Amino acid sequence: MLIDAEQAFAQQSEHTLIERVKSGDQVAYAALYELHVKRVYSLCLRLIADKEHAEDATQEVFVQLWHKIANFDGRSQFTTWLHSVTSNIAISYIRKHKNWLQKVVSFEQSGMDEQSAADCQGLNGLDKLVLRLPERARMVFVLHAIEGYRHEEIASMLDMAVGSSKSQFHRARQLLKEWYENE
Amino acid sequence: MSKPDFEQFLNDSLNQPKQDIGPDKNLWPGIERAIAHPTEQQAEQSRFTWNKLAAVAACCVAALLSVQLFVAQTEPNTMIAMSDYFTKQKQGLLVQYQNQPALTDNWQQQLKELEEAESAIKQALENEPENPALLQMLSQVYQQQLDLINKVHAPKWQTI
Repeated sequence: MLIDAEQAFAQQSEHTLIERVKSGDQVAYAALYELHVKRVYSLCLRLIADKEHAEDATQEVFVQLWHKIANFDGRSQFTTWLHSVTSNIAISYIRKHKNWLQKVVSFEQSGMDEQSAADCQGLNGLDKLVLRLPERARMVFVLHAIEGYRHEEIASMLDMAVGSSKSQFHRARQLLKEWYENE
Repeated sequence: MSKPDFEQFLNDSLNQPKQDIGPDKNLWPGIERAIAHPTEQQAEQSRFTWNKLAAVAACCVAALLSVQLFVAQTEPNTMIAMSDYFTKQKQGLLVQYQNQPALTDNWQQQLKELEEAESAIKQALENEPENPALLQMLSQVYQQQLDLINKVHAPKWQTI
């Protein structure tokens, strides 16, 4: 009961903040940033697997969010909408930062090395393994298993066939299993 | 104590609330600047575009110089051998399929893009003629061209 009341209060104050942000209040936006920066950064990090790039993408999310927040109509939870905005911006960030050779020859970026992933304090064991996955397998795994998108949605977001999304997910699971069992 | 099997570990990890971490540095000042001075950001964007154009122009000059050096060089190398072999293969396929309708309309555009990639890699090879990574990329781009020509001219039943 107490938890319900706390949640209701938090949602109420978040709703007030969002309304203030919509009217151009930057102080309210700073508060909204503080509320959600960890959530946004962690999702960017899981998708991009590079701390510095994840920080850049997080900044991009909050800059674009300032302009897009008027589109939030309150029909879904703000965090659900924020996750969707963040996922799309992080994916387009990854696309923008691929060099021409990677685009032409379809080179796949490898994930974070084992030591750097292990050094990410605060993440759970699965997240640390996920950061080591190669790019496509990682993005599909994060979007499907962690964020709950369907393969059809992922295929459209990542511009790939539904079958590819499923096979990348299978590949991710195999790699995670192998690494987990050898730990 | 033995660790749980992978399926158990995966289920447990996915069913726990997500553990989120914060960035190492404070990102707010940059965000605040960007939203408070959008015009400054646009000016920066425009500077960035000009810098990019200048860089592209510099690359073109470098490529032209490389081509001139290449023309002066008469000794055949791996790239030339690979190009000769591929050109024959490609010409052979184009002749073979010349009377056969293609399955898509934009395949020539796709081929053109691959040919542009081929040129770019060749330019890079002018500076490092035996660079194995560049040679591998060149061979991949060649293979993609052959695959594309074959694929768009494949009989329809093969695409089912």
